[in-house]
Amino acid sequence: MKDNSNISQELLETIERYYNDTMSKQERLDFELRLDESPEFRTQVEDIKTLILGIENQSLKEQLDVFHKDIPTTHSETPMASGVFTFRKLAAAVVILLAVTGFWWFSTPQNDKLYSKYFTPDPGLPTTMSSHSNYDFYEAMVNYKQGDYQTAIAKWDAIQPKNDTLNYFLGVAYLADKNETKAIGFLNEATQNTDFPLLNDAYYYLGLAYLKDGNIDFAKKNLQKSSNENSKKLLEKLN
Amino acid sequence: MGEAYKINHQLQLITAIKDNNSIALKEFYTSNYPKVEALILKNSGSQEHAKDVYQEAFISMWNNVRNELFTPQNDSALQGYLYQIAKNKWMDVLRSKRFKTTQSLTEERTLFLKQDDTIEEDTYDEKLNITMTAFKDLGQPCKDLLKTFYFEKKSLREIALHLNIEETSVRNKKYRCMEKLRAIVLASKS
Repeated sequence: MKDNSNISQELLETIERYYNDTMSKQERLDFELRLDESPEFRTQVEDIKTLILGIENQSLKEQLDVFHKDIPTTHSETPMASGVFTFRKLAAAVVILLAVTGFWWFSTPQNDKLYSKYFTPDPGLPTTMSSHSNYDFYEAMVNYKQGDYQTAIAKWDAIQPKNDTLNYFLGVAYLADKNETKAIGFLNEATQNTDFPLLNDAYYYLGLAYLKDGNIDFAKKNLQKSSNENSKKLLEKLN
Repeated sequence: MGEAYKINHQLQLITAIKDNNSIALKEFYTSNYPKVEALILKNSGSQEHAKDVYQEAFISMWNNVRNELFTPQNDSALQGYLYQIAKNKWMDVLRSKRFKTTQSLTEERTLFLKQDDTIEEDTYDEKLNITMTAFKDLGQPCKDLLKTFYFEKKSLREIALHLNIEETSVRNKKYRCMEKLRAIVLASKS
């Protein structure tokens, strides 16, 4: 690092934008051109990048020590004692696990069981930091992927006009948020267009939503329209 | 759909790691530790060794993920990757111990040992280490601010709200802290 090369606040923030991938296309092009042309600029950018990386690495390192305190210590000093101890713990865990699953198995109705077995939320669409169009949609997608369905729903709901993809993800998000009535509404909308690329999945989730709602006939009807592997398996179980 | 979902889960995990999502990082850190600890304890290491080696491996994994040096091939790829890095690092430690007691290595053996080195050494390791030490010793207010902004990726506005000050003063403070850090790095280099 050269100490005579002063780095202004503006330059720092420009490099941050480059590093975070939040530049506009034009700004990025200009920036990269400058990188190509000026070795001094390149060094400045490298220096700042190393600083940021250093901050992040050291922060992580300190964070890991905090995490580490939460790892239960499994090995005590004497191996004999630890063996007995873990065996007991294991035995206790098995008993509790059996009790809990047994209780769950006998206390939930068959359809709910099938629903829980087959329902995993759609993994969502890939989000990249630089997508400018549909910003609101992808911002909500990030919430969705983090499991924060209510925020995702609120953001998606605000977008107008609705399209197939939007209706589909609203439906799946509502379903994941345990609101099958709303889910059915949106998923029904999503299945209106026969060219919708996620049609199979939409029918699958619609079937699941009806199943959760206790409407087996409609569940079967919609599952039949989906060529999904899981739809077929679930149908077999229902028949 | 099952396979796709699993791979997608890996991609989500990778996104979360890139975002330094602390819940995901913690979950990933704590759930993968026992396996590495077992390996090191079984191979003449202590719990202290296990912790050090695992943390080093975790940081390497994190850096490689962020530099796109790693792409998942199956549903437990990143877990396996972390384990492999830790294993290699532990083998390095064992080897260096052996180096002290063994006098000569045949050419063949050196070659054999070299083959295990799959993990690349970071080229700007030294530069990075200096910066890390500088940051470690930076004053607490600056340290907190820079950590929140660069590591936790909070926006200036969020930090301003939290500290109950103007956004512009957060912005200026951040710049001054960076200058301070840079000065320490420059001083420790010469």
